[in-house]
Amino acid sequence: MPPRAAYIHVPFCRHRCGYCNFTVIAGRDDLQAAYITALESELAASIVVPHEVDTLFIGGGTPTHLTAQNLQRLCALLHAWFPTAENYEWSVEANPRDITSKVAHLLQAQGVTRVSLGAQSFASGKLVMLERDHDAGIIRDAVGALRDSGLVVALDLIFGAPGESLSHWQDDLRQALALAPEHLSTYGLTFEKGTTFWGRLDKGELQTLPEELEREMYLAAIDMLTAAGYEHYEVSNFALVGQRCRHNENYWLGGEYFAAGPGAARYVAGRREMNHRSTTTWLARVTAGESPTAEFEELSPEDRARERLVFRLRRLEGLEIDAFACETGYRVEQLGGDALAQFIEQGLLAREDGRLRLTRRGLLVSDAMWPYFLRT
Amino acid sequence: MPIDKEHIRNFCIIAHIDHGKSTLADRLIEHTGTVARRKMQEQLLDDMELERQRGITIKARAVCLRYIYNNEVYEINLIDTPGHVDFHYEVSRSLACCEGALLLVDASQGVEAQTVANAIAAMNANLTIVPAVNKVDLVNARFDEVVVEMEQTLGIDPSEVLKCSGKSGIGVDDILSAVIERVPPPQGDPNATLQAMVFDSHYDAYRGVVTYVRVMNGVIKKGQKVKFLKGGNVHEVLELGQFVPAQRPCEELTTGEVGYIICNIKSIKQVHIGDTISIAGDQSAKALPGYQAPKRMVYCGLYPSDGQDFSELRDALEKLSINDPSFEFEPETSDALGFGFRCGFLGMLHMEIVQQRLEQESDVDLVQTAPNVTYEIKYKRTGEVVQIHKPQDVPDSGDIEEFRQPIVRVNLIQPSEYIGTVMKLCQDRRGVLVRQEYISPTRSMIVYDLPLAEVIYDLHDKLKSATRGYGTMDYELLGYVAADLARMDILVNGNRVDALAVICNRADADRRGRAVCKKLKAEIERHMFEVAVQAAIGTRVIARETVPALRKNVTAKCYGGDISRKRKLWAKQKEGKKRMKAIGQVEIPQKAFMAVLDTGDDK
Repeated sequence: MPPRAAYIHVPFCRHRCGYCNFTVIAGRDDLQAAYITALESELAASIVVPHEVDTLFIGGGTPTHLTAQNLQRLCALLHAWFPTAENYEWSVEANPRDITSKVAHLLQAQGVTRVSLGAQSFASGKLVMLERDHDAGIIRDAVGALRDSGLVVALDLIFGAPGESLSHWQDDLRQALALAPEHLSTYGLTFEKGTTFWGRLDKGELQTLPEELEREMYLAAIDMLTAAGYEHYEVSNFALVGQRCRHNENYWLGGEYFAAGPGAARYVAGRREMNHRSTTTWLARVTAGESPTAEFEELSPEDRARERLVFRLRRLEGLEIDAFACETGYRVEQLGGDALAQFIEQGLLAREDGRLRLTRRGLLVSDAMWPYFLRT
Repeated sequence: MPIDKEHIRNFCIIAHIDHGKSTLADRLIEHTGTVARRKMQEQLLDDMELERQRGITIKARAVCLRYIYNNEVYEINLIDTPGHVDFHYEVSRSLACCEGALLLVDASQGVEAQTVANAIAAMNANLTIVPAVNKVDLVNARFDEVVVEMEQTLGIDPSEVLKCSGKSGIGVDDILSAVIERVPPPQGDPNATLQAMVFDSHYDAYRGVVTYVRVMNGVIKKGQKVKFLKGGNVHEVLELGQFVPAQRPCEELTTGEVGYIICNIKSIKQVHIGDTISIAGDQSAKALPGYQAPKRMVYCGLYPSDGQDFSELRDALEKLSINDPSFEFEPETSDALGFGFRCGFLGMLHMEIVQQRLEQESDVDLVQTAPNVTYEIKYKRTGEVVQIHKPQDVPDSGDIEEFRQPIVRVNLIQPSEYIGTVMKLCQDRRGVLVRQEYISPTRSMIVYDLPLAEVIYDLHDKLKSATRGYGTMDYELLGYVAADLARMDILVNGNRVDALAVICNRADADRRGRAVCKKLKAEIERHMFEVAVQAAIGTRVIARETVPALRKNVTAKCYGGDISRKRKLWAKQKEGKKRMKAIGQVEIPQKAFMAVLDTGDDK
């Protein structure tokens, strides 16, 4: 069965923030029109015939940095190639400053159901440090505009910025809760190679927070958000009942998905492919009628099962042991071996009611467990 | 055409490492026309690849030179010797085949520790010494001072010292004539019963064992049946000849000559270095005194990091030992490391060389445990004395009457300004000063008795750094002396790790224990739980460090494009873990097994 999800990557941004290592191109808005044209070609070449989907996700970059006209062209493209099924979910990532009532209305009119706002923080100092161009007032206005258009609101927050204290973070969480978004994601700041933050860290201009403080911040998010009625359903994701991001859930469950745009990753017919990460290279290749794929891999059934084991366990509800065996042909005991037994004994994983899931302690150190479940 | 023994000279070159022995030997070979110039390879005699790489000689080599002096043809047999202290016993083997020794001293470095050690060995073997100062064409040559040093330390007559340069060929004729004039021709009776000394051997994949011999009496002929006296085994001589330096067959080797014989012997173990060859039957000559077997001074465990590679490692070790009988190995088991081998070496350089060769010649990834010397333990009840090659074999202290360690006499030569620093180095290692002498106005020699264990680990490195590279050292084994020794165990989360145990002096135990625990703490990654690293003597814990548990390690973002990337990253971490050794549930990286060498000096 072909995938029932599709992802489109929009690389344009006003500014590349110091911590960002995504496929992004800043200050080249002149390429927007060519990008849409190229996307058209890529979809025509790779999708061939329109496919009905349950979920759509336009991520970036900053999709809302596209001009209204280009945004409309993009949506029209998606309508053509990915007609939506009943009860579909269509998410778009947005920069708070871009969300005017006009844009909110446009998105809603095109069929978008859900907007994920890159709020990151409500504290002006932290926003400046993160090189964001908005403030708390702009976030509130954006949320208001989205609500007025009847769109579901998801907020992204970052914790662990240099110099941040636990109480600052708790304040961010409180302000986010005050806006009552249907969905919240909290991400610990990481320093990635190739970002200006990485260089500044190297030079000693920036300092990471102590591990213990990051841990407390993460636990504070879990405690405050669950207390406010949000379900902690994946490592970094919280949602009100019925408001999980279905598109992302598909990734974690090991489902397949179409994708297009620079740096976009697709998983179709058992093959994982990643487009070239450079926007200009992607443009050149697609325009020349060449494949934009830079990397691909096809996993053996066992490796696929191992991957599923790991990514499903990152969902807090874990997995149903018998169903997993039926689906993948491998039992978790077989894949996990001695390590699995040890982690259960150490209280990092819990096995109960036919399910296997992370415990709170296990969640905190889960990355140290995954290598044992994978193989080279 | 057979040569009479009055026209034979046998000599070796002795020198400190790097004083230009092999280069000079090349010049001698070239000068006598033994090898055509176009065939010359730098350092002809050092034909092992590794010797070339490291620029050192490991095994003694023999080459036969023809030289015309005063219109008469002479056969001069040159035996090249290794200069490193680890291969000292190879030097003594060469000495027993010669009547003379060319003592070579570098014109800028002067007399150094192995110059003294090798020269004294040659004198004790009653060899005629032909002294020469090499590299006299160097800009920083200090010929006159070096001659004074030779006079002071070795009683060399300054008027006898020759000048030469292996690089430019200066003095090569002088050396050859001095060898002919000063070194006596070999003794022995060509008409007596065959008596030849085996001084080396190597294994040739096509011809079997090639045995190196020096004929002391009688003649050895092709086709003759000979007996190896030690094992009593009789073989027919299929081929014999001389090294020029390649093997050149001939019909016979007569009294005084040096050469090789090939007798279709399949295993190098059948040929004992120092053995005597004579005629078959019961009329054989008497056995020569022979040599002392080489002493293994250093032992360490070698384990395949992947247990699957055990038999591969065994094959590689066997292959190596065929041409290096001075290294030995036997299987051992460690709780921590699984199946491996305890290997004995002549010294640290020898250990390094063997390891390097194992890595070059086989694909096995190795875990090496910290090297240790051989100890002796006298049991209380039985009075039995047992040699201990690994710390795990040390019994309970209650059973030990006496714990003995090897003591060596170390000669250290350095510019006098560093004498204080060098003495402190030795004192810190429980050295006992034997004597101190000035060998020139600017250089001096000090002699210390030191525990071998303190010498082999890092004394050479420390000496070099304390003297800006000018200090040199040499040592000889004095014997075993009782000391206040104990086995220090390392426990990881309460489990004793046998491969991490060390033997040390009780008085140093606290310092060493702390240093080792600290080092291990740095090497062991954080786990899901706290890891306690303890050092203990018997049941008494003397040091402890804790590797705190991992508190937070969780990737926040993981969406479509991240899945492949993360999976690969985690799988790669898994690969790293495979190379670690699990003690209980604690994973210990391979490097950590050398951590026990940390002496805690740097604090």
